[in-house]
Amino acid sequence: MIAIFDGAMGTMLQQAGLEPGQCPEIWNIEAAAKITAIHRQYVAAGATIIETNTFGANRIKLSHYGLENKVAAINAAGVAAARQAAGAHAKIAGSVGPTGKFIAPLGELTFADAYAVYYEQISALAQAGVDYIIIETIIDIQEMRAALLAAKAVSPQPVICQLSFDADGRTVTGTDPRTAAITLEALGASVIGANCSLGPAQLLPVVEILAQACSLPISVQPNAGMPELVNGQTVFPMSAEEMAVWVPKLAAAGASYIGGCCGTTPAHIQAIRQTADKLTTTPAKQSQTFTALTSRTRTVYLGPQVSPVIIGERINPTGRKALAAEIKAGSFVTVKKEALAQIKAGAGILDVNMGVPGIDQVLVMKQAIEDLSALVDVPLAIDTTDPAALEAGLKAYPGRALINSVSAETERLDTFLPLAKKYGAAVLCLPLSDIGVPKTAAERIKIARQIIQQAEEHGLNRQDLLLDALVMTVATDSQAAAETLLTLKLYREQLGCPAVMGLSNVSFGLPRRDVMNAAFCAMALDAGLDAPILNPFDPLMQDIWSAAVALGGRNRQAVAEYSKKYVNMPAQAPESATTAPDILTQIRQTVINGETTGVAPLIRQALAENHSPLAITEQALTAAMNEVGQAFGQGRCFLPQVLLSAETMRTAFTTIKEVLPSHTTQSLGTVVLATVKGDIHDLGKNIVAALLENNGFTVIDLGKDVTAETIVDAARNHQAHIVGLCALMTTTLPQVDATITALKADGFPGQTIVGGAVLTESYARQAGADAYAANGVAAVNIAKQLLGC
Amino acid sequence: MPMYHPRLTTIDPAETKRYAGLTSKSDFSAALLAEACTQGQLLAMPKGVWQVYVYDQEEHTILSPEPLVLTADSVIKHLHGASQVAVMAVTIGLPLEQEVSNLFSQNQYTLALLLDAAGTTAVETACDAVCTIIGQHAGRSGLTAGRRFSPGYGSWSVEVQPEILKLATGASIELSVTDTKMLVPRKSVTAIVGLYPYHQTVNLSHQQELACDKCGQAGCHARKETISK
Repeated sequence: MIAIFDGAMGTMLQQAGLEPGQCPEIWNIEAAAKITAIHRQYVAAGATIIETNTFGANRIKLSHYGLENKVAAINAAGVAAARQAAGAHAKIAGSVGPTGKFIAPLGELTFADAYAVYYEQISALAQAGVDYIIIETIIDIQEMRAALLAAKAVSPQPVICQLSFDADGRTVTGTDPRTAAITLEALGASVIGANCSLGPAQLLPVVEILAQACSLPISVQPNAGMPELVNGQTVFPMSAEEMAVWVPKLAAAGASYIGGCCGTTPAHIQAIRQTADKLTTTPAKQSQTFTALTSRTRTVYLGPQVSPVIIGERINPTGRKALAAEIKAGSFVTVKKEALAQIKAGAGILDVNMGVPGIDQVLVMKQAIEDLSALVDVPLAIDTTDPAALEAGLKAYPGRALINSVSAETERLDTFLPLAKKYGAAVLCLPLSDIGVPKTAAERIKIARQIIQQAEEHGLNRQDLLLDALVMTVATDSQAAAETLLTLKLYREQLGCPAVMGLSNVSFGLPRRDVMNAAFCAMALDAGLDAPILNPFDPLMQDIWSAAVALGGRNRQAVAEYSKKYVNMPAQAPESATTAPDILTQIRQTVINGETTGVAPLIRQALAENHSPLAITEQALTAAMNEVGQAFGQGRCFLPQVLLSAETMRTAFTTIKEVLPSHTTQSLGTVVLATVKGDIHDLGKNIVAALLENNGFTVIDLGKDVTAETIVDAARNHQAHIVGLCALMTTTLPQVDATITALKADGFPGQTIVGGAVLTESYARQAGADAYAANGVAAVNIAKQLLGC
Repeated sequence: MPMYHPRLTTIDPAETKRYAGLTSKSDFSAALLAEACTQGQLLAMPKGVWQVYVYDQEEHTILSPEPLVLTADSVIKHLHGASQVAVMAVTIGLPLEQEVSNLFSQNQYTLALLLDAAGTTAVETACDAVCTIIGQHAGRSGLTAGRRFSPGYGSWSVEVQPEILKLATGASIELSVTDTKMLVPRKSVTAIVGLYPYHQTVNLSHQQELACDKCGQAGCHARKETISK
């Protein structure tokens, strides 16, 4: 039988006379009879679950009305008002809505504060005797996690978790229904669903995905269509009959709790109930058997049916002094770089280890997890031996993390397993016991079974567990790898949990560890390894991984991906039959191509062949820059390419200086450059400076926000031939005029060039400038023309 | 004062290429572009804040505690039909622009230019994320959010920047404005978003042109290549 929720409370309150700007929840106290009357209408319409008028009755929302100290009273009154109407036919769900603030790192609210706010409200609802807690209209999975954890802490009642999804099928903070379902089922939700934002048509596919992704009942409370504001009133266009048409479809998709959100009335609920009563079958749920990890926005499945996944091991300060020092200093720059680079190299999960001695593990793990979860989409494995750091990481993580790891040691079992259950994490089980490392596969299976049993006693399921096969070095025991491979086979045959393990220990003490590690990886994948923990930057490992995954047959796309990866690799270049161009031509072409690393050897070669610096400069370098300038002017190349050529030119000059320290180059002239006073933008000015310098000018760069007096002084002191002025916005254009006037008043004998986003040729003329340059390349050409170069 | 720090899990290289002045078909080092995008992702610290006000379209006035009368035709036209407005401010902070300066001083001009472009992509992406949240909130009461419109677009002078920043409560995300009406940090945006009742949204797409179409800088290298006419 399908459970029927009630419909909109807000819509009914407005009809009952609630004024705009008035707190809806205070009516629980001040107009309780009206609230009860609304509930009665829904019960009469056939609702089997009615929601209390407490959607915004949390401390943060109530503070908008100065009612933050009435949380308990308003929630208790809300339950009492519902109780008056419920009778014997309806259950009461205590409604809990969003705080309106985002939790860090998406906002300023801390997870602890959000948890406390929900703890306070849900305690009041639970004490007042609700039958369910319903957390609804939530757009951020982390806020849902805080509320659900609070609900589980204060109430034994079932918790219904409903998120609001957008038309693109994700919450506005990026969580898709599958990821939400997996995360929230693991965290202890009783029912998972969707409400608000969309109508039934748009929520139908969301319901389908939720139902497929978890074992729990699914709820849905759509709006009565998409809202419209007509004559100052928000109107939801879908009639009761139109809405009821969707009930069989929603039920077929997997919904067993159906109701309405904004715009639905008792008439809608009555129509929904009547249609639901005619359904002959109700959605049957099957328990899910897959293992999955989630981030805020992505689900990664693990197991023999899916492609193996690399767990990147590089976020680990063990043996990395620089990284350890950086973490100790509170910087996560390298950690974040490693995260992005590992994902680019193929990692699908990232292991996070903050094991630096002498730091506050709790604080650092929390910060690392927050920062990484804001930056990357792949799930994280929290790698620590410190239970407090583990809890901090799990709390901060907006998904289902992997705990790395839990051994059969009593202390670890007693501390880590309850945390895994509480925060909905998966657990990597390490078959080590209090008596040490088991040598044989049979012993490892035995210990793994003990951990599984303990985990199940703590309420975890098989799909929450991953097994490590233990990797020992073959340098000291030639059978070590074989025993690990046998363990993997037995895990798959006997225990069915995905297998995860670090590989590199196998080659410890041996030469060419990369070869040994890559070969072992391929063998382990064949034996049943689902997710190796490895260094994804190792090029040999990358190649072997691509081949092994393609050969393994677990990923239909893998062969195509392998082909794509290697099909365009350059083949061995045949010996060229043509004669290489002369060295100056090669240098010219290298500058045009912007090959910054290729030019230095060519310059050395040219000097060795007795080409003079002057010849190299004029026939190769300057010729190249002229060609680049022309190409830019004709729209055949663009600013970044010009700058790359300038950088190459600079490397060429530097190389000449290195080879011939006594060589001096003739400056084409001195240019004083500045962005005018009041203007803080200097990108364009910096580009002009770079191009002038590398075309042979001496540049005195005064920076940005420079006063006319400073520019006049610099022009005089440096005997500048040219002053270049830049202004980006209309508000700073007058400073161009003022500076030119000041230069003239000081008797500046040189020329002035002006430019900048809003500057025009006519403005330049009007301001008394000698020239206007539309861009950096033009500035160089004009400077040369003005000085007759 | 809703506040949102959008996640930046990627910086679009195609957009970055455009902001750097490269056409979509121009041949350029993908590695250098990728490096700039990754650095941009690491350095950008996106933060957004906004406030919603009732808008009196007859008087072109934002009904904030200190009402702001709009005088520029372009913004008045843009907000035609809006019953409320969200005034927003977004920044990606100082570290990225500091690194651009560092790179220039280390003669890495190209990476500096590309990183600056990645910063522009980042702040635009952050603005879009904030607008999505504004739109989502507005949708609950039957309003549709239009495109954002910033001081400096069309005839709307940047002189209004201090008032708009104040309405957006930009100081709460460490955004300030200079005497010359420039935002600090530089990679920041203020904008106004009209919230339109359903019956006003029918003509919204015609009324709300793309930002590039409103801009007089015809020679801008970052101009969108597909401009609606």
